[in-house]
Amino acid sequence: MQQSENPSRDRILARIRAGLHTPAAESADTTSSGGAIFEPIRNPLDRFQQECVANLTECVLTADTTASALQLAKILQSLPEGEVFVQDDPSLRWLIDVVPSSRPIRWSSQGAPAETSQATVTLVEALIAQTGSILVTASCGGRGASVVAPCHIVFSTIAQLVPDLQTALRNAFREGKLARNSFACVISGSSRTADIEKILVQGAHGPRRLVIILQTGT
Amino acid sequence: MPRRVSLFVPCFVDQLLPEVAVDTVKVLRRVGCEVEFPEDQTCCGQPAFNTGYWNDARPCAENFLRVFQNAEVVVCPSGSCPTMVRMFYPELLSSSPLRADAIALGQRTYELSEFLVKVAGVTDVGASFPHTVTYHASCHGLRELQLRDEPVQLLRNVKGLKLMEMARFDECCGFGGTFATKFESISIAMGTSKAENVTATGAEFLTAIDSSCLLHIQGILGRSGAPARTIHLASILAQDEP
Amino acid sequence: MSATAAQRFLQDAAVKSADLVHRGIILHGLESYDAAHLRGRARFKDWEAARQKCQEIKQEAINHLDRYLLQFEEKVTSRGGHVFWAANAEEACKYVVDLASRCGVRTVVKSKSMVTEEIYLSPALEKAGIKVWETDLGEFIVQLRNEPPYHIVTPAMHLNRRQISELFREKIGADIEGDDPSRLVTAARLWLRRAFFAAEMGISGANFLVADSGVIAISTNEGNGRLCTSVPRIHVAVTGIEKVIPRLEDLAVLWPVLATSGTGQPITTYSTLIGGPRRPGEPDGPEEFHVVLVDNGRSQLLADAEQREVLHCIRCGACLNICPVYRHIGGHTYGTTYPGPIGSVLTPHLSGIREFQHLSYASSLCGACTSVCPVKINLHHHLLYNRRNATTEGGTKFTERIGFRAWRYTMLHPRIYAFAGWLGRAALRVLYGVGLAGSILDPMRMWNRRRSPVPLPSESFRARWRKGLAAK
Repeated sequence: MQQSENPSRDRILARIRAGLHTPAAESADTTSSGGAIFEPIRNPLDRFQQECVANLTECVLTADTTASALQLAKILQSLPEGEVFVQDDPSLRWLIDVVPSSRPIRWSSQGAPAETSQATVTLVEALIAQTGSILVTASCGGRGASVVAPCHIVFSTIAQLVPDLQTALRNAFREGKLARNSFACVISGSSRTADIEKILVQGAHGPRRLVIILQTGT
Repeated sequence: MPRRVSLFVPCFVDQLLPEVAVDTVKVLRRVGCEVEFPEDQTCCGQPAFNTGYWNDARPCAENFLRVFQNAEVVVCPSGSCPTMVRMFYPELLSSSPLRADAIALGQRTYELSEFLVKVAGVTDVGASFPHTVTYHASCHGLRELQLRDEPVQLLRNVKGLKLMEMARFDECCGFGGTFATKFESISIAMGTSKAENVTATGAEFLTAIDSSCLLHIQGILGRSGAPARTIHLASILAQDEP
Repeated sequence: MSATAAQRFLQDAAVKSADLVHRGIILHGLESYDAAHLRGRARFKDWEAARQKCQEIKQEAINHLDRYLLQFEEKVTSRGGHVFWAANAEEACKYVVDLASRCGVRTVVKSKSMVTEEIYLSPALEKAGIKVWETDLGEFIVQLRNEPPYHIVTPAMHLNRRQISELFREKIGADIEGDDPSRLVTAARLWLRRAFFAAEMGISGANFLVADSGVIAISTNEGNGRLCTSVPRIHVAVTGIEKVIPRLEDLAVLWPVLATSGTGQPITTYSTLIGGPRRPGEPDGPEEFHVVLVDNGRSQLLADAEQREVLHCIRCGACLNICPVYRHIGGHTYGTTYPGPIGSVLTPHLSGIREFQHLSYASSLCGACTSVCPVKINLHHHLLYNRRNATTEGGTKFTERIGFRAWRYTMLHPRIYAFAGWLGRAALRVLYGVGLAGSILDPMRMWNRRRSPVPLPSESFRARWRKGLAAK
């Protein structure tokens, strides 16, 4: 933004710099133990599954792509009629081909998901054991893919599982994921709210169901 | 060899609740301390400090340092006054030549239960008080002096005393110094919640290390006709076998 | 003359602190938080180490604020985003309103942002003829009631389902049988969905601005923040300048700590990172991305080395939840954008000490807030600093200043102190003896009105000491 369009920019920066001339008071309590903040995760798969249960995320383990396809078929059958939005990726094209369904499919290459989509199907960038989360980016079918429809189904492999947030974020930074994508999201369960009397209600504005199909073999 | 203790009496205890200080002397003597009371003491300066009048608090603090400069150890039946000395004198006197003295004095100024358990190493003072008692954790002792359960340790060793646990025992009673009158409605509401929690335990007595809390809670218990009475920790510990 | 903020506060506090129905609702809400919060802390191996780490992260960010803000700006603009630096509320609002007008925006969907409340953005947009929908359920509810949020994390905490159901019937024509919360949520979802898909602009806040990656981080549970930042053509993020953090990796501890402190969760459902408008090849996303960096008094607070750490606040709400004053008077009584302990500390700096000093005094200084703050801000000590500043800058009452002068004189003269004490007790004994305790003549009236009177012994301790305690 040009200086003339934002004259306050330089003034604010100058005020910040002037303000920081005086160093802050030393905080009295510098008892940094330096120790681990979180318990180390010895069995990521176990932990991931436990956290999914706590998050109300459905996590289904499959042995191979055939089993994965069967799971997808089962889930689609359980949904009301309507369009399904799918990330345009060769592995998902294969899965959709294999699954018997008369549902209309909209691919991410065609644009954003329709407001009336019954489900979205995407890949993920990573699975995070510590919090039972998935990491998605715009490359996983775009932004709406993980929030517009009442059901979000993701396909993942065991190789994508990392133990904790720190690893996932470090990897994402190193691999330049945020340089290449305008959006990323760590998703830990279905949408929910406790704004009414602190009572937890599942399925607010986002998906009510998050289903993770985790393929352990090929 | 008897330990020489200089007694520091909060100004309102001196004027309104002298028995608390009398009982403190009794307990300290019973555990073998030699007690002296520097008569030139008045106030640690906290009321002015807390209200923001640091320029009025400062001379009081400097005076306090003079009064207790030769004290080996200072003991006070209150959590808030030692807090003022230990936690806030260094800041209040940050530009004063007496700053180092303030820090040194703060490190040897103790609340009563803190002194008994952590310095004198005593948890049983030979007291007897066959009643049901519940404990309120006064804020300064808990969060500034970082007292853990020294008062409770002492109470557990009092003969015949049955300790009842209170819900939200560490929630502020609402006294807060001038807060009690400047923000009367909030203070009363907080004290009422505390009084309700006291009554719910069914205990005959409520105790704490700060008389200010007890005065405030008793004020509300009394008005509501609730049966429980307040008693300072020192007064329980001073009770002998009959 | 209309009441000052302090007078309004005292009046509202008197009403609210006596309102037992209100207290019951708040206590219910906060008790469930207490339990969840404790469970949440137990998930950490070392909660204190986590607080320490978060303090260090924010300390580094704030004390190099210019460097990190510039790094953030450079990355955002290199990817097609716009960064606008607003000195105050007016400039921030003008930027957003002008942008909306220029782009023909008629409807805005908004996800929760305390800064947008602080700068009164919604009224500015509405004045320009633009309809604004709050989409966070709690914010949506209070918007329908035309009142400010009650709590920075749970805006409608003060309402029960019956009240919300009646509100929905009246305002959005939804008839929910049995006031079932999940059906109320569905009603809100259906209503707001139309807004999400019709709006031309989505406005969000930002929990963090990540300097090394040029992304904003938004933590939500409902998914409304996701829809606001995915569907409309323009996304505007409004944020305070102090929200910046150095590294993406810092979120590994900040996200869990924020969620634990705010709601007791291990992490919020959607921890979103946005770095610009949609890139070529992405299926969807806004075409424009704007970040409005709001100063509005923050750079001034930054210059105060003693109180700079107040800018470390991550707006988790934990201090509100634990504060006994907040529990008894509720969020609206404060009359400020930010209530609770952080609000009492911060408001004099953002909005003027003269008008808002009373909030720093409306505390018993119990220190519970400091003990829970996840970034270890010494909140109750900052109340003391505000009080000190009030006496030197804000103009406290003349009678009080004189009173403390007299107090000081008395306390520096032990014999005068002893005499004054004796005289006071004697006089009060006479006064109470004739039944005037609690009356207009009673100097201790503010105590004795609603509490049984303080004892008035005939002898002080020092008198008894002199009489014979010393000898033993």
